[in-house]
Amino acid sequence: MGEENQFDAVVVGAGPAGLACAYLLAKAGKAVLIIERGDAPGAKNVTGGRIYAYALNLLDQELLEDAAWERKVSHEEIMIIDGKRSITIDYHDPSLTEGDQSIQSYTVLRAVFDQWMAGKAEEVGAMLVCGIRVDDLIQREGRVVGVIAGEDEIYAEMVIAADGVNSIMAQKAGLISDLKKETVGVGVKEVIELPAKTIEERFKLSQNEGSARMILGCTQGIHGGGFLYTNRESISLGCVFMPQEIVQHGQQVHDIFQELKMHPAIYPLIQDGKTVEYSAHLVSEAGLRGMPAQLYKEGLLLVGDSAGLVINTGYSIRGMDLAILSGIAAARAILGENDRSKIGPAYLAEMEKICLLPTMRLSDGYTQLLDIPRIYSNYPQLAIGVMQRLYKVDGQIPQNLKKQVMEAIDESGLTLWQMIKDGFKGVRSI
Amino acid sequence: MSRIIACYKWVADEADMKINPDMSVDLSKAKGKISDYDRNVIEAAVQMAKISGDLAVTLTFGSPKAKLSLKDALSRGPAEGFWVNSEMAEQADGAASAKVLAAAIDKIGDYKLIICGEGASDTFARQVGPSIAARLGIPCVSSAIKMELSGNEVKVSRKLEDGIEIVAAQLPAVVCILPEINRPPIPGLKAVLDAGKKPTREYKIEELGLLDSDLGARNETIEFKAYVMNRKNIVLDGETAVDKVQALVGSLKKEGII
Ligand SMILES: Cc1cc2nc3c(=O)[nH]c(=O)nc-3n(C[C@H](O)[C@H](O)[C@H](O)COP(=O)(O)OP(=O)(O)OC[C@H]3O[C@@H](n4cnc5c(N)ncnc54)[C@H](O)[C@@H]3O)c2cc1C
Repeated sequence: MGEENQFDAVVVGAGPAGLACAYLLAKAGKAVLIIERGDAPGAKNVTGGRIYAYALNLLDQELLEDAAWERKVSHEEIMIIDGKRSITIDYHDPSLTEGDQSIQSYTVLRAVFDQWMAGKAEEVGAMLVCGIRVDDLIQREGRVVGVIAGEDEIYAEMVIAADGVNSIMAQKAGLISDLKKETVGVGVKEVIELPAKTIEERFKLSQNEGSARMILGCTQGIHGGGFLYTNRESISLGCVFMPQEIVQHGQQVHDIFQELKMHPAIYPLIQDGKTVEYSAHLVSEAGLRGMPAQLYKEGLLLVGDSAGLVINTGYSIRGMDLAILSGIAAARAILGENDRSKIGPAYLAEMEKICLLPTMRLSDGYTQLLDIPRIYSNYPQLAIGVMQRLYKVDGQIPQNLKKQVMEAIDESGLTLWQMIKDGFKGVRSI
Repeated sequence: MSRIIACYKWVADEADMKINPDMSVDLSKAKGKISDYDRNVIEAAVQMAKISGDLAVTLTFGSPKAKLSLKDALSRGPAEGFWVNSEMAEQADGAASAKVLAAAIDKIGDYKLIICGEGASDTFARQVGPSIAARLGIPCVSSAIKMELSGNEVKVSRKLEDGIEIVAAQLPAVVCILPEINRPPIPGLKAVLDAGKKPTREYKIEELGLLDSDLGARNETIEFKAYVMNRKNIVLDGETAVDKVQALVGSLKKEGII
């Protein structure tokens, strides 16, 4: 550290991306300052609730040992809703709660998880300052040399923009323009408290086991979906929507979410629970296409959501693990390269090595698939329609199956041609 | 240069307080914070020291959890932080706290002014300031909304029910302030960074010549319960805005509010 208040790295934002990077840099002996605008790490952060453990394992195997998780996910569920009817598929693999930790995933609560991670970064020497918002970057001759918070200027060799979706740092650096409506969704979420035993009974879980459920067809035709995660003593239930479609439909996010809560297949799961937290947050929805063209500038690296690193496949959301991976890649680039002008390219190379960019590219198809509007109403309706006919026994002569399916297709408003096109797109995308 | 000592209490943040169905209060998940009024205390000490050229320092009596408070307190401007660390702080009443604080102030020495809040944001018992003064044998002025040092006197404006009283007291003195006295700013980034480099000093009860047995509370909290204020749920009808406002005024009058 040269002059006073000069750091090797300033990390803006104490989410998983920033904390992962800060952890590794501090552990390697760098002088690291993390600046978080919330009163505590995680205070302002919203996530559905599942993190894939492999990312923590890559960060530091020891960290995985005492990670602040809620439950280990062994039930992967998909729920399709149409009106009051629903189908739930539950894939259960009890072996996922034991053995190789790196293939597991955990449900987490961010207020707890982020604080735990921040504690780990502080333990290895990173300095954390909360309750301070970074307002701007200090730039000299096209290089980022520090940050401005209120009236204070702090200089650093490297600035890590880990300030999440709609990153102000990336905007100030000129790497992204203002937010594009079609690239972000709006997520709303409630944390509903229930005794652990009740949760285990309702979701048929053994102790420590958890379930992760994606819900399709709960958004009244709007591009989006729901999620439900079981925590130790609470349930995280939420929905993600595309904001401009909500406006077009003339509906209120709150009303749609309320209807989901009252759905006959959801209500019994949360009944008698107490809502202890209600939150809303943006979520990047565009996958590869939502990423800024440039992920760095001299003196600045974008990590996590600020770099648009989220994959939504419809059956899972991945953001926190990718955030951690990008934090690791950033730290490796900084530690491995002395010439500041080469750190940016080195960061991209590390992201390739850690399989982050390849993963983003591969999942691009999903994003296109999820652009098909029919996924949010017609197809759920079709699936439910087929089920309804399949299980109906009323003493009449049953119709043959093919005819029943055709009827269900008709009723769902789909045409065969559309289905073939969508099917083709679907196969191509995966 | 002598010391201006700001006393503060590390309290549970009421925002994290949970009320159980049986109306008992759960503070187990509550984080700590510097009592809201004591932020004014620290700011007052910093302002006074700036004018008089003295040294503003902070002092707290708290359990090990209060260690977190030192950086927070120092980020607000004082030069040094003192902390009497004892589990006894958890159940201490005003008398016990004053005993400890007075002993610590004696130990710190070379003080000209001690500033306390009129009351803490959790108990608001209004005991500590006056008891410290009594123990140290120095004057105490309460309900301060303005103060000024001149020579070896402090001039204080006291807010009373029906007016403002201006008094002067010989230094050293204890002044208990009301939150109107100032508006503490939120510490900036550099202030927070600097706080980490400022000296802190931890005292144990024994170092102050006291014993745990001296600190037993004289009154004991038997029960701590939530209080529900039921809303009246009055809906005011009226054709026009004027009707509605009149109905509102009438209703407020009936309640004796205006
Ligand atoms: C509803 C919803 C459900 C999701 N579900 C999942 C899921 O189940 N699994 C999953 O892996 N991902 C999920 N995600 C995505 C995941 O939450 C994000 O990808 C992840 O949090 C990104 O981490 P990050 O560290 O990049 O950013 P964030 O976690 O957003 O952290 C950014 C931090 O920067 C701080 N900050 C911002 N601006 C400033 C500033 N100017 N100065 C100082 N600090 C600042 C913020 O307060 C925040 O703490 C979900 C997202 C949403 C919204």
